[in-house]
Amino acid sequence: MIVKRQNLTIALVAMLMPISSAQAHHAFGAEFDPNRPLLIKGEVIKVEWVNPHAWIHIAREMEDGTTESWMVEGGTPNTLLRRGINRDSLKPGIYLVVDGYQSKDRSNRANGRNITYSDGTTLFLGSSGTGAPRDGADPRERPR
Amino acid sequence: MANGVDTHWTNDMNTHANTILLGLAALLTGSFATAEIPRTADGKPDMSGTYNVGTSTSMQRNRIFGDNRYMTEEQAERYARATQSFLQGRTSSDPDREAPPEGGDGSPGAAGNVGGYNAFWIPRDGTTSLGKKIPTSIIYEPENGRYPARTEESRNRMVRRYRNYRGNDGTAWWLENEGPGPYDDPELRPLAERCLLGFSSTSGPPMLPALYNNTKRIVQTADTVMILIEMNHDARIVRMNSEHVAPDVRKWMGDSIGYWEGDTLVIDTTNFADRPGLGGATRNLHVVERFTRTDESTLLYDFTVDDPTVWTQPWSGQYSWPATNERLYEYACHEGNYALGNILRGARILEADAIVAQGGE
Repeated sequence: MIVKRQNLTIALVAMLMPISSAQAHHAFGAEFDPNRPLLIKGEVIKVEWVNPHAWIHIAREMEDGTTESWMVEGGTPNTLLRRGINRDSLKPGIYLVVDGYQSKDRSNRANGRNITYSDGTTLFLGSSGTGAPRDGADPRERPR
Repeated sequence: MANGVDTHWTNDMNTHANTILLGLAALLTGSFATAEIPRTADGKPDMSGTYNVGTSTSMQRNRIFGDNRYMTEEQAERYARATQSFLQGRTSSDPDREAPPEGGDGSPGAAGNVGGYNAFWIPRDGTTSLGKKIPTSIIYEPENGRYPARTEESRNRMVRRYRNYRGNDGTAWWLENEGPGPYDDPELRPLAERCLLGFSSTSGPPMLPALYNNTKRIVQTADTVMILIEMNHDARIVRMNSEHVAPDVRKWMGDSIGYWEGDTLVIDTTNFADRPGLGGATRNLHVVERFTRTDESTLLYDFTVDDPTVWTQPWSGQYSWPATNERLYEYACHEGNYALGNILRGARILEADAIVAQGGE
């Protein structure tokens, strides 16, 4: 079978795409409101390491200089642990930037659509070196 | 439900490939009994262990591959590069970025217009190789690697189920439809949301790779095989050399009995409840699974699905289960489940908004 290069690339990328459209424990679309986008910046207060969804509590910095307590929903604790992130590396005081959407019930809860450190490094990598978080190999990473 | 090529993809290919191929060759020639595999005291192949069944091989074959069950070398190389590029594209974001767009970000599926599952939350692990080859799909029968046609009865059922479905636009759109709305009652919510059964047929049977939580643990004795599924801590208990329970006894994961066919562990499952884990299937589902130990660290998992009320012919699939040293973590579904409350409370608020917008009180 002759397959055109361009078509093949599309097919191969398409094979990866179900990752973003797959089922999950619950549909984020059922829980979060597309009309309430938000950006949360602030320090971690605590992390609930619970399957199937970890919850990261953040002291959100408000425009008037005060902070509000928010909860951000993400995936499984297993995934974090397998990436070398644990209760010692993702702990209170670490500064995070989160974009997502607020819960439809309008409580201070949001989905973790994208979670990064203050320098933009995606939380799960933290290092371009060994892959271990903050091993000093990445000059952009926050000091331990 | 694809997931899981890891960053050691090439290593996986090399380390698993040779041994799996040898196992397959041995299986095909009937000389498998002589292979060096661990055995229990009674001489049976020892299937026990912990396995990570995540894979990026898709269930159905992209039509571009036709009836080709495996990728060519060039396709496999391009696939590996595409996978790497997909993963590396997610390493950082602008820390001064704005909030996502008003009205939703257009993300499909479970991420339903609000996103939520970026690479951060998806474990990129598991192997895609089957022998030295990279399969183009898990399904291998029918030959085109795709689900067979649905029966008319099943198609009609799907139409009824999704007739009133709409995407997430942040409104109580269901108020415009007749009958109960999807958020009226917790029991109308999907089984996974209610912590009753994992999603994506992760516990099956057939047990299929899911977005995450892909660890399985097998404990084997002469008269019982137990398969613990990480998601929802579902435990399948397989009675060896037994008979199925009475037809009126129905179970979430069906009633499983096992027997040995040479060195292959065969598990036969019937007696499903009305909504099995396998999408679209009914209580008439019949699944036959075959486990073969291809080397000391790999199982070959093969399955055949038959539900004549849903599919016009039986279909079969196959993928590797590589052993893992990782631990299987507790799945505390109810303890961490703020989501169901958010969903139901949120629906009530959107309904109240809609009534106010129509001038009601």
